[in-house]
Amino acid sequence: MKQKHGSYVRPQDSSLGRTANIIVTAFFTAVTVLALMPVVLIIAASLSSEESIEMYGYRYIPQEFSFDAFTYLFTSGDTLPRAILNSVIVTCSGTVLGLAVMCPCAYALSRKEFRWGKLLTVFLLLPMLFSGGLVSSYMVNTQILHLKNTYLALILPGMCSTWYIMILRNYFRTNIPDSLIEAGKLEGVSPLRSLVSIVLPICRPVVMSVAVFQIFGYWNSWYPALIYIASNHSELYPLQYVLVNIERTVQAMTRDAANVSGMEMTTVPGMTMRMALVVVTVLPIIVLFPFFQRFLKTGMTVGAVKE
Amino acid sequence: MAKKSHGSLSRMSRKENIQLTLMTIPTVIWYALFCYLPLFGIFFAFKDFTPVPGESLFENLFVNSPWVGLRNFSYLFRNPQYMDVLFNTLFYNIIFLVAGIVIPVTLAVLLAEVHQKKFTGVVQMALVLPYFISWVVVGYCIYGLLATDVGQINGLLKMFGADPVQWYQSPEYWRGILISLGIWKTSGYTMVIYLCSVNAIDRSLYEAAALDGANFFQRVRHVTLPHLRTTIATLFILGVGSILNSDFGLFYQVPLDSGALQSVTQTLDVYVYKSLMLQANFSFSSAAAFLQSGVGCILLVIANLITRKIDRDSALV
Repeated sequence: MKQKHGSYVRPQDSSLGRTANIIVTAFFTAVTVLALMPVVLIIAASLSSEESIEMYGYRYIPQEFSFDAFTYLFTSGDTLPRAILNSVIVTCSGTVLGLAVMCPCAYALSRKEFRWGKLLTVFLLLPMLFSGGLVSSYMVNTQILHLKNTYLALILPGMCSTWYIMILRNYFRTNIPDSLIEAGKLEGVSPLRSLVSIVLPICRPVVMSVAVFQIFGYWNSWYPALIYIASNHSELYPLQYVLVNIERTVQAMTRDAANVSGMEMTTVPGMTMRMALVVVTVLPIIVLFPFFQRFLKTGMTVGAVKE
Repeated sequence: MAKKSHGSLSRMSRKENIQLTLMTIPTVIWYALFCYLPLFGIFFAFKDFTPVPGESLFENLFVNSPWVGLRNFSYLFRNPQYMDVLFNTLFYNIIFLVAGIVIPVTLAVLLAEVHQKKFTGVVQMALVLPYFISWVVVGYCIYGLLATDVGQINGLLKMFGADPVQWYQSPEYWRGILISLGIWKTSGYTMVIYLCSVNAIDRSLYEAAALDGANFFQRVRHVTLPHLRTTIATLFILGVGSILNSDFGLFYQVPLDSGALQSVTQTLDVYVYKSLMLQANFSFSSAAAFLQSGVGCILLVIANLITRKIDRDSALV
């Protein structure tokens, strides 16, 4: 390692000396380890045997390796497969629907000559300033739109975002040459056709970027389930909310252990299994993250650019 | 020639305008239903909501519920619990506002100095990852660390002969824990935004500064920071606008909704949620939500105005 230091101290680029560079590198190594610490613990815990957790507690270094928790999770009952299915349904349909709704709108906004462009931008920006709040959203969604206890309650409220529309619009504006649009017009192609066959293929990076943000957002969402899915509709619980629910039951049990019936006791998974469930929830993100990261960057940098 | 093509661009055929308008319809409907329709809920804050079962929401709100003026608000402010909640919300947000600028900017400036691409790539990935991990999962991670009987930290404490701590019953630690977690989750993400701006700076400016004998700190002060000004201002203004908003997951899910911790963990969003879901107190929670939205909106406009006075280019509009 030592002779390689020269490769990352280039005097013309870096204003830090060699020692300072080593310190900075060491610092970032430490920060990286620190950032990953919490996640590493649940992975270690999920791979420990139930007995060793009961004896020693959650440990970074498993006292006794075991895959039992995972095998048990996937072989017993249909709660977990059902929750995974729900999460996948919500994530996929939300992402696809969201893009299908937002891309055409962003395209219209990206056309400088579009007559309602300014007005529509204001229409989309105002909700960022002022919202009706949880209470009225809840009342509208349950009493007017009748979303309570449906998949739609998990999909629709998070489908669009002014932020994503602006990211798409900015990217379309800077990456589609006017001449291309003009050429399409001369051939009599409709705007929707030119969006699908010209704009989207060129702008794939930004579409992927918004898609990745949406995928992660939906996969991680549990708040809509907390509010809109009642406990007698547990077949609609997404994975994240199953975790919330288990944790609530455990809390309730420890609070008044005396009042808990034996049946409730058995519905709560053991300590290792809970952590295995958390790992199942977070693993798709960790596995997909390295592949998705370059797309995320597109969205983050386009978003930082104003107008 | 150029002028002519510009002329044909700025005039769009009627037909195309209609086609483009149609393309925006789904989005407009979505915003109408999920953003604009709930705005009537502002009335909840000025009414004593007394629904009659079986009647429509609008009838219940506008016909069956009497106007009470500002009574909901005065109740709110006379409630000592609410003042705690308000204090907590402001306390955490001011810290997040400052730390959310200082820490990511520092990290970005330092990381830009490391020139081993593979290393910086891994660091960026590891630091951004927390942003995409849900608070539910973070809650379990923290439980693994802090659980009284099985937590890793109490295990270490016992190993070194110290007394285990009942973390979920000890509010004195939680301000620190929640602040660290908030920073842990968002710093990396914000850092990448700043890092992009830092990397976009023309390297010759640094060379010129180096030739003039500027040391590292002087170069950061006179070259890097001025270039980050706009990004910092944008994120600052947005932060001020959401000064009364808080991350529900962080303050509700991570402390596991523990009653003993409420005095330091309860923020406005948690309070609104609880008074709606647990007490079905519509008027109260909408008054709280109205304040949240209204104050945020006013502050955003003020922050933007001040920024504009100081530096026109950095303001949002």
